[in-house]
Amino acid sequence: MEIVVCVKPVPEAETRLRPDAAGTALDPEGVKYVLAGYDESAVEQALLLRESIPGSRVHVVACGPAPRTEEVLRAALALGCDVATWVDVPAASADEPLSAARALASAISPHSPDLVLCGKQAGDNEAGVVPAALGELLGVPDLSYVLDVRWNAGASRFSLKRASEAGLESWTVPAPCVLGLQQAWNDPRTAKLPAILKSRKAPIARVTPPSAAADPASSPRRFELPPPRTGAKMIEYKTADEAATRLVRALREEAKVLP
Amino acid sequence: MPDFSLSPEQESLRDLARKFARTEMTPHAAECDRAARFPEEIYRKAYDLGLMNLNVPTEFGGSGLSLLDQCLIVEELAHGCAGMTTSIIANCLALEPILLGGTSEQKERFLAPFCREYHLASFCLTEPSGGSDAGALRTRARKDGDGYVLDGEKCFITNAPHASLYTVFATVDPALRHKGVAAFVVPRSAPGVLPGKDEEKMGHRASSTSTVRFEEVRVPESDRLGPEVDGFSLAMRTLDQTRTPIGALATGIAQAALDHAAAYSLKRQTFGKAIAEHQAIQIKLANMAQAVHAARLLTWHAAWAIDHGARGTLESSIAKCFASDAALHVADEAIQTFGGYGYMKEYPVEKLLRDAKLTQIYEGANEIQRTVIARELLRAYA
Ligand SMILES: Cc1cc2nc3c(=O)[nH]c(=O)nc-3n(C[C@H](O)[C@H](O)[C@H](O)COP(=O)(O)OP(=O)(O)OC[C@H]3O[C@@H](n4cnc5c(N)ncnc54)[C@H](O)[C@@H]3O)c2cc1C
Repeated sequence: MEIVVCVKPVPEAETRLRPDAAGTALDPEGVKYVLAGYDESAVEQALLLRESIPGSRVHVVACGPAPRTEEVLRAALALGCDVATWVDVPAASADEPLSAARALASAISPHSPDLVLCGKQAGDNEAGVVPAALGELLGVPDLSYVLDVRWNAGASRFSLKRASEAGLESWTVPAPCVLGLQQAWNDPRTAKLPAILKSRKAPIARVTPPSAAADPASSPRRFELPPPRTGAKMIEYKTADEAATRLVRALREEAKVLP
Repeated sequence: MPDFSLSPEQESLRDLARKFARTEMTPHAAECDRAARFPEEIYRKAYDLGLMNLNVPTEFGGSGLSLLDQCLIVEELAHGCAGMTTSIIANCLALEPILLGGTSEQKERFLAPFCREYHLASFCLTEPSGGSDAGALRTRARKDGDGYVLDGEKCFITNAPHASLYTVFATVDPALRHKGVAAFVVPRSAPGVLPGKDEEKMGHRASSTSTVRFEEVRVPESDRLGPEVDGFSLAMRTLDQTRTPIGALATGIAQAALDHAAAYSLKRQTFGKAIAEHQAIQIKLANMAQAVHAARLLTWHAAWAIDHGARGTLESSIAKCFASDAALHVADEAIQTFGGYGYMKEYPVEKLLRDAKLTQIYEGANEIQRTVIARELLRAYA
């Protein structure tokens, strides 16, 4: 089974973000790009499926500029993906979900995968569009907010769970399909040192999509940081009892939200 | 021109160690320190990820890293917990004599099975009667038929109660001093190997330290490392390799102290403003940052020199001595920045001072490092 997993380089959680000079995007200077949590869960799911389906292969695909895209592809290879493809597009196109989906689809479709896994949304702009757009562009069913995907060989279908606000749904879906994965339900593995060293030397296929321009209609006009939050009050304490007492006092006497 | 940039490969090794330190070590550091608990589950995880046996070539199942790469990892681990790091890197120290002095047959026989699964090893040089004067060993290696009988006691041995393999330095004749020292590999299973009970320590309390008694322990000649007279030199060449990572370990402690102090200084208010806005605190932080930066660069330089074929006695002594003094000073200033809270066990900085202290003592006390530095230095002027 050919399993494709799509990942997006996103700024590390601890990064100090700032807008670029034009004020329309994040300034990439000094930013470290990593796999987002959603994508880590998608990679983990792909590896679990490969381990349970003999003869399967995990192909990791990412679109974006160098060097950040190569870095996350190598991180995915270190986790155990078999091959990697870098779809070389400018940052603006990778951040615009429809052109990202087009770029990914052009790289994926020649491989006719049985399954395409993505995080349910990007870890940075959280658009959540790519899985559905990929399904449309590849002409296969898609489903998001997915977890716990298993292959039912007898029925030639995937069985999976879907977590929604309403509860937990059970589905079966035919192959091929595109699935958007939930975050942090499968305890993604950590890459081991020898695998990290090996991944640095692994080949990465580079492809350029036919058209890579971001659509201005679905790109943001401005990018600003949220105003700094004010009014927070830290409560100093030694013991849990003391913390609770002081908190209740502050809620009652200062915030006046308790009688 | 020197190039101080790290390769993407080195960045990813450092990221691995940093992530491991932040997620697996830091959250348990205070508890292990308080209870003097040896967190074997953490050491097993470190082994599984390839963060142990860093210096052992991959052909024998180790990670096969350059000294600079090892230093990058050790600094990050020590930022999480210095005591745990001492126990994680003790294998590098214990196995180095085999790497330097072992025949290929001995390396295959000892290292391959050892590195194939989680095992700990201990380096047994120091004795109750003295550590600095390693030529004055009293543990005897008596020639007996086709082998030796070891008899004597070692002390302050890291990981000894948990180790399955020991590299042991003993004298065939105390009158020969340095020239009588021989090195041996001794499995824990050999009859007469008796590790003592854990010492109660000031710092590095997640590490385990004890005596080891060798009572009439039979060792075949095939388990001796190098020629009989070569043991002292082997011990010194081992420490030339492992001293630099101690500089990195000290740098990790110092960086942690600076991180805590800087973050606290922005939160703590006195006289109507954050203490970071008082110039006295700014000067403190600036001096701490200089010390950390210099410690790191001296460590990198020593590692780089050794990776490029230098013996590195001078460079590694400077790095270890400077970084450990810096760690103690920076930890001290971090406590001062925290004021009374810094003195309380509930806050993380007093542990850093206790942990930093050891780095001035082990792997050659700093007085000995200075003796070595002066000797190497004066040689150039004589
Ligand atoms: C937690 C811990 C873990 C350790 N782990 C190990 C281990 O795994 N394996 C191992 O073999 N050892 C280990 N050691 C031992 C350590 O290396 C020794 O403690 C150290 O080498 C100093 O030896 P000593 O304690 O006997 O002090 P001494 O040699 O008695 O020295 C006492 C003091 O005198 C100074 N001094 C000695 N000689 C001179 C001189 N010629 N000139 C100037 N000053 C001098 C010393 O610097 C020191 O300040 C460990 C020690 C500790 C505390």
